[in-house]
Amino acid sequence: MTVQESAARTRPVPAVEAEGIAKNYGSVTALKPTSFAIPAGSYFVLLGPSGGGKTTTLRMIAGLIRPTGGRVRINGADVTDLPADRRDTSMVFQGAALFPHMTVEQNVAYGLTLRRLPRDRIRSEALEMLKLVGLAGFERRRPHELSGGQQQRVQLARALVLKTSVILLDEPLAALDAQLRRDMCFELKHIQESVGITFVHVTHNQEEAMTVADEIALIADGELVERGTPEHMYETPERRFTAGFIGENTLLDGIIHGHGQEARLVIAEGLEIPLPNAPVGEGRPASVSIKSEDFRLAPEAVDAVSAPVEVVDVFYLGFSTVMHVRLPDGRPATVRSTTGALPTRFRSGDRAVLSWRPEAVRLHLA
Amino acid sequence: MTHDYENPWGYRLKWLYMLTVVGVLMLPVFYTLYISFNYGGFGAAEYEFTWLWYRTLFENQEIRTTLGWTALIAVIVVACTIPLALLAAKFYQRTRFKVPFVFLMLMPLFVPADVTAAALLVYFKNLNTLTESVLGLAMFELSLWTAVIGQITWCLPYAFVVILVTMARFRPEQAEAARTCGANAWQAFWHVEFPQIRAGVFASTAFVAILSFNEYVRTNFLKGGFDTFPTYLVSYMLNTGMTPEVYAMAGLFTVVSMSVVIVVLATTMLRERS
Amino acid sequence: MKASGPGGAGRGILWRRLVADDGPGRLLFYLPAVFMTVFFLVPLGLTLVWSVFERTMFWMKPGFTLAAYGDFFLSGRIDSFLNSVQSGLATVALAFALGFPIAVFVRRSLPPAAQHKAVLLFILPFMISEVIRLFALRPVLGRNGIINDALIGSGLIDAPLDWLIFTPTGVVIGEVLSFLPFMVFCGFLAMEGVPDYVFELCSDLGSGVVRTFVRVIVPLAAPGIFAATLFIFVNSLGLFLVPDLLGGPGAANAGTLVVNAISALDFPLAMAIAAVMVAMMIVLLLIGHRLFDITRILQPYR
Repeated sequence: MTVQESAARTRPVPAVEAEGIAKNYGSVTALKPTSFAIPAGSYFVLLGPSGGGKTTTLRMIAGLIRPTGGRVRINGADVTDLPADRRDTSMVFQGAALFPHMTVEQNVAYGLTLRRLPRDRIRSEALEMLKLVGLAGFERRRPHELSGGQQQRVQLARALVLKTSVILLDEPLAALDAQLRRDMCFELKHIQESVGITFVHVTHNQEEAMTVADEIALIADGELVERGTPEHMYETPERRFTAGFIGENTLLDGIIHGHGQEARLVIAEGLEIPLPNAPVGEGRPASVSIKSEDFRLAPEAVDAVSAPVEVVDVFYLGFSTVMHVRLPDGRPATVRSTTGALPTRFRSGDRAVLSWRPEAVRLHLA
Repeated sequence: MTHDYENPWGYRLKWLYMLTVVGVLMLPVFYTLYISFNYGGFGAAEYEFTWLWYRTLFENQEIRTTLGWTALIAVIVVACTIPLALLAAKFYQRTRFKVPFVFLMLMPLFVPADVTAAALLVYFKNLNTLTESVLGLAMFELSLWTAVIGQITWCLPYAFVVILVTMARFRPEQAEAARTCGANAWQAFWHVEFPQIRAGVFASTAFVAILSFNEYVRTNFLKGGFDTFPTYLVSYMLNTGMTPEVYAMAGLFTVVSMSVVIVVLATTMLRERS
Repeated sequence: MKASGPGGAGRGILWRRLVADDGPGRLLFYLPAVFMTVFFLVPLGLTLVWSVFERTMFWMKPGFTLAAYGDFFLSGRIDSFLNSVQSGLATVALAFALGFPIAVFVRRSLPPAAQHKAVLLFILPFMISEVIRLFALRPVLGRNGIINDALIGSGLIDAPLDWLIFTPTGVVIGEVLSFLPFMVFCGFLAMEGVPDYVFELCSDLGSGVVRTFVRVIVPLAAPGIFAATLFIFVNSLGLFLVPDLLGGPGAANAGTLVVNAISALDFPLAMAIAAVMVAMMIVLLLIGHRLFDITRILQPYR
């Protein structure tokens, strides 16, 4: 207790702190006990496949659903038993959450009118927020007269105007088309940096997550799999699931053989990957992953480790080319190369050699 | 869903059939309305238009009193039923026991009026004996209130269904958005959900008012020593037969119900247009 | 902070407590269920108890006797009852034949915006008092009513048809006209949840009209058809005034039997008939729910 207290004094208070929060619906588990802390002022993304528990987590932070276990703290204050309107959070929903019978300005001003602020102050703050999200001049429109992107901006303004210390975004861009989504990502990031409020953003789209996040938490099957900066999640994922979900990685499962410098992962008869100084012992199952851009495909070996492969498919994408190849035992692997760097143009059915640097191999023990 | 390749005559024939059915359903009603303006009443050799029968109706003090009771009951029934229906629809959306709840709410539709009324009558009599022996006060004497209770059991299922169907179009995210803006549950309902279901609430109000206005069996069993317009009409008809006054009363009934329906439809359509 | 608004007055706090999500205000939501239980479920359940009470001069007293059931099942009353069951079944069949095609037509062939308006047309007759609608049939169906006038005027018949009213036929006509709208409502409501593509698929696959109707439409609308059927059947057994106004001499249905028993101050008999009706309704409802899951009608409205 005292240790924790003194630790809390020395470290800044996190904006959001979840301590073992969990949610069960009867016998169905939506989220297993999960703990994390979100530093104040950061852009935090909850990423994961649909139905994995990330929206449940967000809604428990918002106070829209009550956790079946654990505590939620916002700015250090325990809010587990408070409903959404008594928490220092505001929220942006996926879509259709604007009040259709109110104008854009009334929508943005709604939270302020509940606080019974003076009318002119409400108006000036609402207009200021609309300007911030790039919708100055739209205040008299009705939600149905706006495009999907504009509606989401109004939602953002409605959340920002409350000046809460945390803003929660539940798949805010999911209903938008790809181009608009990309633009809105940059804008969200800009707005978050300019206002300095903590954003917690739920998405299933990894590109969206990588674009906006200071930190990503990967949530799947009702648990927090791994968290870290976008760079960490992409370059050095610890968990096998992370490597499978983020980026374009080839995953290989096998058994560790040998010790020290001799240690290697035996994947199949005749296919083994050296793992010098692997931190685990003989006979233990493990996985490795290799990013598609760390492979090199050539008529003969060009890096330290190699395996003969058969080219299955070649996809020309302009700047880069993606090739699906088959390892000797039939396992698939994915190779991506800048088109200009390819030694020859491979075609389906060609025989070639896949090679990679030993440092490119990432070991996953879970 | 219009079918481009459907035979247009088949389509028109179906329309014709539908309108004919509505016409047949309404025909008797309009026919009595027509007779009610005839000086000679039903079966007279020639038709002579007159307001006479309606005038006699309104000059009749007894009938004016029955109309007053009918209106009073209708107002009380509406004032109780609509809030109950709103609560029931909200409860339905939240509860895990949806099936038993729906059965409980809709069952009055599946029991004949006489059976419900008889059971309630005996129930009230027993409750009277009970409260009299315990509290020394008969709390369930047949009165305005017992009639109101009987009518609510009949009107609530309809109002519940109409409001539930309207509420289904409301997106719950909006109420949640209001909550995250700082509204409590009550404010979220009044500021955000209610304005959007107002049309359904309005329609069910009119619906319940008409149901109550028209209700005969339960009221007749459960009323106190007064008459409502329907009970007066029926007993008058059974006693004196089909006199011109009866036709005029029926006509009055029709006109009141129809005007309520027309007002509701007109306002709904005007709102839709704007 | 959102929470710290002004309004710290005593009333404000009390009010906020009341409407808080876990405040006492939430008990209000149980009110409809409580009301229906106290003033509907319990009285109807108790009919079973009262039906075995002993009859006294003006009232009844606790006891156990099946005399009331004997009075019902072993007298002419059971015949009246069975007759009303018969006309109830005929009513259901006619209402389905005449009304259900309208529901199908509205759902399949009208543009979505017009569908609800077309169904609303059938609200109109329903909004006219049942008493008036039945009573209005007398000048229409009677010996010198408009139907006979028109038929004789056109030379189709010489003498007025006298089986139109004061006969079992008259009862069925009255009941069909009263209940037809429900077949349209329920049929439409059940099919409203069926997506358009189902109907489009049928015409794409070129299923015949009859096969589409029997294999696709009827099963999809089954819960609605069942709800309407049960509603029409049970209510036609109790439709007040129909036997008096349209049936022949001595005609009665379950409703009039109950009313007559009450007028004769034979409360146990009235309660026995009520209990039989309720039992029948519950059995039919459970069978229907097993077969069709009636709550599917309200599925889109969860």
